Amino acid sequence: MVPIIAWRNIWRSRTRSLVVIGSIVIGIWALIFLLGFMQGQVDNYVSGIIESETSHLQMHNAQFEDDFDVKLTIDNASKIVEDLESDPGVHAVTSRILLNGMISSSAAANGIMVKGIDLEREDSVTHILAKIMEGAAPDTSKRNQILVSERIAEKLKVKLRSKVVLTFQNTDADITTAAFRVSGIYKTHSKLHDELYVFANKKDLVRLAGVPPGSAHEIAILLREIDHSDAFAENLNETYPWKAETYKQISPDLELFSSQIKLNLIIMTTIFMLALIFGIINTMLMAVLERVRELGMLMAVGMNRVRVFFMIVLETLYIALVGAPIGIILGYFTTKYLNRVGINLSAWSSALEEFGMKDIVRPSLESGTILTVAIAVLITAVLASIYPAIKAIRLRPVQALRKL
Amino acid sequence: MTEEIVIKVSDVHKTYDETKVPVKALRGVTLDIKKGEFTAIVGPSGSGKTTLLNIIGGLDRPTTGSVVVNGMDISTLSDNQLIDFRKTNIGFVFQSYNLIPVLTARENVEFVMLLQKVDKAKRDARTKEMLQAVGLGDRMHNKPTELSGGQQQRVAVARALAPKPSFILADEPTANLDSSSTANLLDIMAQLNQEEGMTFVFSTHDQRVIDRARRVVTIEDGKVLKDEWR
Repeated sequence: MVPIIAWRNIWRSRTRSLVVIGSIVIGIWALIFLLGFMQGQVDNYVSGIIESETSHLQMHNAQFEDDFDVKLTIDNASKIVEDLESDPGVHAVTSRILLNGMISSSAAANGIMVKGIDLEREDSVTHILAKIMEGAAPDTSKRNQILVSERIAEKLKVKLRSKVVLTFQNTDADITTAAFRVSGIYKTHSKLHDELYVFANKKDLVRLAGVPPGSAHEIAILLREIDHSDAFAENLNETYPWKAETYKQISPDLELFSSQIKLNLIIMTTIFMLALIFGIINTMLMAVLERVRELGMLMAVGMNRVRVFFMIVLETLYIALVGAPIGIILGYFTTKYLNRVGINLSAWSSALEEFGMKDIVRPSLESGTILTVAIAVLITAVLASIYPAIKAIRLRPVQALRKL
Repeated sequence: MTEEIVIKVSDVHKTYDETKVPVKALRGVTLDIKKGEFTAIVGPSGSGKTTLLNIIGGLDRPTTGSVVVNGMDISTLSDNQLIDFRKTNIGFVFQSYNLIPVLTARENVEFVMLLQKVDKAKRDARTKEMLQAVGLGDRMHNKPTELSGGQQQRVAVARALAPKPSFILADEPTANLDSSSTANLLDIMAQLNQEEGMTFVFSTHDQRVIDRARRVVTIEDGKVLKDEWR
């Protein structure tokens, strides 16, 4: 009977209950959307870094990352690439020559990293061809062609087919200088990336730097499932004498960004739950104070305090149980829809480029988010009901019955 | 009428000091109420009759003195024990009906039996019987707002009687009723008093109730002034 009374009680003041339920619905909907949006930003950031820089995994000579010494290569890189290509877990793999150096034109000079790439394989890992705005990728049939970013082209004041000079150290520790012709100009979503990297044919750099044929400084691997990264890296480290690292190890800022976003989510969720608590307390307190005489009568005829307490808690829970699923369903489908169509943030694209983020954010929900929100709302409802319930059980029937 | 004493009130004093000026509501009331009585406690406003009823009903505690119901001194019980005591021993009829507005007449009558964990078959049968006894067999599924004042008070009487308590305490039960509803309610209560042997104690200053009572206890200034049997 107590659950029935509690359920009917919440509909006694229909408008008031609907206002509270409505605020729960809107609050949860907004919270889930925000959670999805922020997770979408994390995904955006992570996928941007993976796509343009780290891939899912990279292999290097273990000492290479310390000082980028051109001699510290993976000797059998071509063989490893071929082996990995036949692995069903691997989506794409490529090897690269990496040279720290300087690019200069008649107008200016800039410190850069030259990536010597295997063009076909590189494109399947980083989709670099799709980012070419003008011209084309270095022609494999011609020597010394280079792909520069729009930013570097602007700095050096060069255009397509302009000549630039690359200066770097070869394996004999001699400074090598070579003239390259700009075959294409690219632009990615990341300002940092575009200011740092230029792309040339791997075989040109092998020749100019004196790196042994078949070797490389870096092998970049894109897996079919990002979640397999850790296990795959472990496997590579057991199989080869080279150092394999996941994107999280290569770019620790990803973890920092994710954890900061998660902290933001916790703060937002807490603020929302606090607002919800006070909203519910206000409503339930009104409900209790309006029914002082009735509560006095219930206790007079023998309803014990535990039951009265339970009844008030149940009323609060019912309000939450009506509002929460509607809010969750709305939030879920809104997020799902926006994940499909994406949210266009191109108005802020220059700011997003600073962080290496794309201007389309696709909100997404991590597994467990919905359950976490549902549990948080229920806990909030129970907490919010405690004060009004205590207020109810503290009533003395003899005094409560006198209330008009 | 048997001589079994249901309620024994011995030298009960009650002093309220809520307003910091002590108010002596009862000044040594002694009273025995036997099984099957149909007793009215009468007196002017402020005489202490409602206080006496509250103390007998375990809703309030005496400052001094004792109230023994069915051999149990209820002035020594804790608040939780008093709730249990009221649930099993007393049927209340309040001046303003005090039905649960979200429940139907049937559910209201059933309510205390549910708290007592009476099984469903017995509960249903007793609920039906009581609602028919108060002439509301056809209004079982109506909520209080769909009933007149007189009908609501009859539901309240059915609710008080349904769990077969030791006695019924009715605080000004006719105060909000018109003449015909009052007469009808008194008929029903008198009939149930006869048929079920139920003890009724009223506080009232309604002459129509006083006229029907078989014992009238007059209280004034917190003391029993007269105790008349008819």
